[in-house]
Amino acid sequence: MASATGSLSDPAALRRRGRFNPGDAVLYGLTLIAALSALVLLTLIARELISDAWPAMEEFGLGFLTSRTWNPTGNVFGAAPFLFGTALTSFGALLLAAPISIAIALFLTELAPRWLRGPVGALVEMLASVPSVVLGLWGILVMGPWIVDHVGPFLHRTLGWTPFFETAPAAGSSFLSAIAILTIMMVPIISSICRELFLNVPRELKEGALALGATRWELVKGVIFPYARAGMAAAMILGLGRAVGEAIAVTQVIGNNEAITWNLFDPGDTLASRIASSYQGATTHLMVSSLVYLAVILLAFSLVVNLLARVIVTRVAARQEGHT
Amino acid sequence: MSFRRSALAVALVALVGVAVAVSAGARSQGTLTGAGATFPQPLIAQWQQNYKRDEINYNGIGSGGGIAAITNRTVDFGASDAPLTPDQFSACKGCIQLPWVLSATSVMYNLGGVKNAIHLNGKAIAEIYLGKITNWNDARIKRLNPGVSFPDRKITPVYRSDGSGTTYNFTDYLNSVNKEFKSKVGGPSTTVNWPTGVGARGSSGVAGVVTRTEGAIGYADIAYALKNHIKFAAVQNKSGNWATPGLRSIRSAASADKKFSRTNELSIVNPPKGRKFQRAYPISTYSYVLLPLKTSKAAQLKAFVAWAVTSGQQYGRKLIFEPVPQFVVTRPKTQLTRVKS
Amino acid sequence: MNLTSEHRTRRRIVNWIMEGLATLAALAAVALLVIVVGSIAKRGIGAIDFDFFMETPSFLAGFGNEPSGIANAIVGTFVIVGFAVLMALPVGVLAAIYLNEFAPRRIQTPMTVAFDVLNGIPAIVIGIFVFVFLVAGHGQAGIKGAFALAILMLPLVARSTQEVLALVPDAMREASLALGAPRWRTTLSVVLPMAVGGIITGATLATARVAGETAPLLFTTSLASNSVSWDPTNALASIPMFIFTSSEQADPALQEQAWGAALVLITFVLAASMVARAFGLRSRRRLSGGR
Repeated sequence: MASATGSLSDPAALRRRGRFNPGDAVLYGLTLIAALSALVLLTLIARELISDAWPAMEEFGLGFLTSRTWNPTGNVFGAAPFLFGTALTSFGALLLAAPISIAIALFLTELAPRWLRGPVGALVEMLASVPSVVLGLWGILVMGPWIVDHVGPFLHRTLGWTPFFETAPAAGSSFLSAIAILTIMMVPIISSICRELFLNVPRELKEGALALGATRWELVKGVIFPYARAGMAAAMILGLGRAVGEAIAVTQVIGNNEAITWNLFDPGDTLASRIASSYQGATTHLMVSSLVYLAVILLAFSLVVNLLARVIVTRVAARQEGHT
Repeated sequence: MSFRRSALAVALVALVGVAVAVSAGARSQGTLTGAGATFPQPLIAQWQQNYKRDEINYNGIGSGGGIAAITNRTVDFGASDAPLTPDQFSACKGCIQLPWVLSATSVMYNLGGVKNAIHLNGKAIAEIYLGKITNWNDARIKRLNPGVSFPDRKITPVYRSDGSGTTYNFTDYLNSVNKEFKSKVGGPSTTVNWPTGVGARGSSGVAGVVTRTEGAIGYADIAYALKNHIKFAAVQNKSGNWATPGLRSIRSAASADKKFSRTNELSIVNPPKGRKFQRAYPISTYSYVLLPLKTSKAAQLKAFVAWAVTSGQQYGRKLIFEPVPQFVVTRPKTQLTRVKS
Repeated sequence: MNLTSEHRTRRRIVNWIMEGLATLAALAAVALLVIVVGSIAKRGIGAIDFDFFMETPSFLAGFGNEPSGIANAIVGTFVIVGFAVLMALPVGVLAAIYLNEFAPRRIQTPMTVAFDVLNGIPAIVIGIFVFVFLVAGHGQAGIKGAFALAILMLPLVARSTQEVLALVPDAMREASLALGAPRWRTTLSVVLPMAVGGIITGATLATARVAGETAPLLFTTSLASNSVSWDPTNALASIPMFIFTSSEQADPALQEQAWGAALVLITFVLAASMVARAFGLRSRRRLSGGR
């Protein structure tokens, strides 16, 4: 443990020892102010957003979350369509991204020959560096038409009996396009966290299972997954948080419609995407407030996601350290 | 080591200094920054190239964005096809609007194998956007187009997802021709709750989605349809004739309102039946410039607007921007005196 | 686990299937990256020429004038990201110094959590915040966009700096203090120089990350001029905003410009990330391995 705390860092202790130096006070003060910056920013952000959202919060209250009406001409607003769209796209993407990410992490830690791990790992992480606006551009001009011309009709033919692919695909902008883009964004995040987790599974546990004659898959299923279970859950939650907050790429490919529908070929909208598309041209004061109310919901959600992931990780880390 | 570092620092400072000097020197004219409607943007782009007195910056963010930007004084002038409501005027705290561009909203469609200028009346367009007509081979469309064969293809209505003056114009028209649209969707407004369809940003965005989507129908200024080689419909006017957007049909529609409202608003949507309006295109509209009454750039703005409504109009003909009629040209002369620095 | 030999064949088959799926998934990810980067390269390369970097955009391409270049966006991004780094780097490094060198354990955890929470806030929310806080009523400015990007960078810089500082062996600090150096001298002259490699790595990665962000700029520095400007007190153009507005155009010539700008952007981002990672690996190895 190389982090210096305790007697080495405590200025009070140093002062007692007579080693106090005014330079120390200056550095201590400066760094403390810097360290408080996060808390200050968080407070500012919460305060500014809530105060700007207040007119809408006052007008609609918590009913805002269940109201399906988003009507600028009638000056009545509700977040339900966007909560639905956010949930559908994010969880849909998670459903696709989770197995893919876990598989990639397993490949990189257990399967791949050593010389391949570095390059392939780097390539997967490179996918994370592609800016969202660039992915959105690719989504509009390449992926969208490809879905309409090839993937869509195939899904409609084979799975058209489900509510998800009921109609034939028409436009490139749809829930499905948004889900695809979000999946691409989530995979590198979840897989890199899982990769770290799998690498940290204690050698002895793995070797024990192999000594008993387990196949690699049984090793994964019986040793790695149970050990890394909580971390994997945290990774999913963090990936979900990323998807929920994505505004730009989603607004480029989702079609900006307020429909609540299970048909993935239909256009829809999410919280973040609606803010990005409508904020600049909002017609009334109440509409601006309602859009900031959407931002407050997003803020609250990101806080919950973050703290939840953290709680899971610390609780399980404590439990695991107790066991070993 | 320290000599090298200070030499590097001097070089960097010199480089930055040169760059700043170069860029500053390049802008010896003044600058006017505007934002708003994409409807008049093709003409404004011509003005940006040809107006020599000042540099004109313009960002097409939609009429809604233009109204918000001028209200927040984020820009020197705003542009909107939708006239300001009384609430927006009071929020703007001393703004004036003046018509400076005249054109029309085309109803564009992407239908391979079908000719240009198919007939669509107001009722059909409204029902398409209400989601009641969902396929191009619907009887209601075939009836309007005897002899034309339509494919079995889903209609994807495309609308503006940003605050749009073209939406205002389009919904203004649909409200006047279809009661159900008026009660279900309402308006006219820059943002409405569309029952069905796909959203796109900006007039270019609508043109883009229509181009990429087979069976799509969308609304945008006629210049965008022409530029992108998109087919557009002939719409029936109140006199019963089928009109397409063109200089003559727009001019005919413009004669429907020659009296400014107190806020310089002119409404020429869906002109009444009459000899003068036989050829009128029913979805024509003016577009307005929004100026603050008190601004440090008053002289520059006044000069620009005066130029735009006179010399500026000639650049629009090729893009089907009909030069504004004389009574619109002379209006700024009296109204602009209210703009002071 | 049922490891009895009678199921051995079935277990082998299941294992084989799972290994295949895992390999497939990894291949799919790599293939996807190749497809995405490949599309961008193929479609964007046509737009790249000397003019692309030197000329400014045409006013509305296709309506009488050909699309030309993105010089204003390149300069704007340089200025905006530059100011973002100037704002976020010192604060992030100082914060990390406090968190790692001075903070008692019970304060360190909640304060670190604050940075993690800040990191998790969506970029669009940060953009709205900066608009409401700085832009509404006052006007857009490149420096306000830079402030929004700095908020995004801050937790990244703080976190990566904290990790590198933690890698510096305690023995170094103890030796310095034993020699009579005050705490501040130890930190600045002994600990920090050892961590500098990792700090630069972290800062470069954070910079590469925010250089591609659009949402924070959308409401703070989007109404920019077409000409090149270095003035951060006015709204400045930026590459991500250029791509965003051009991505929905119908005109193929403008689309090509968007691809070109995307190619420039990902080249910069990927190159910076790769260099930073390689550099970081080397300096990390030096820190923890050698003494």
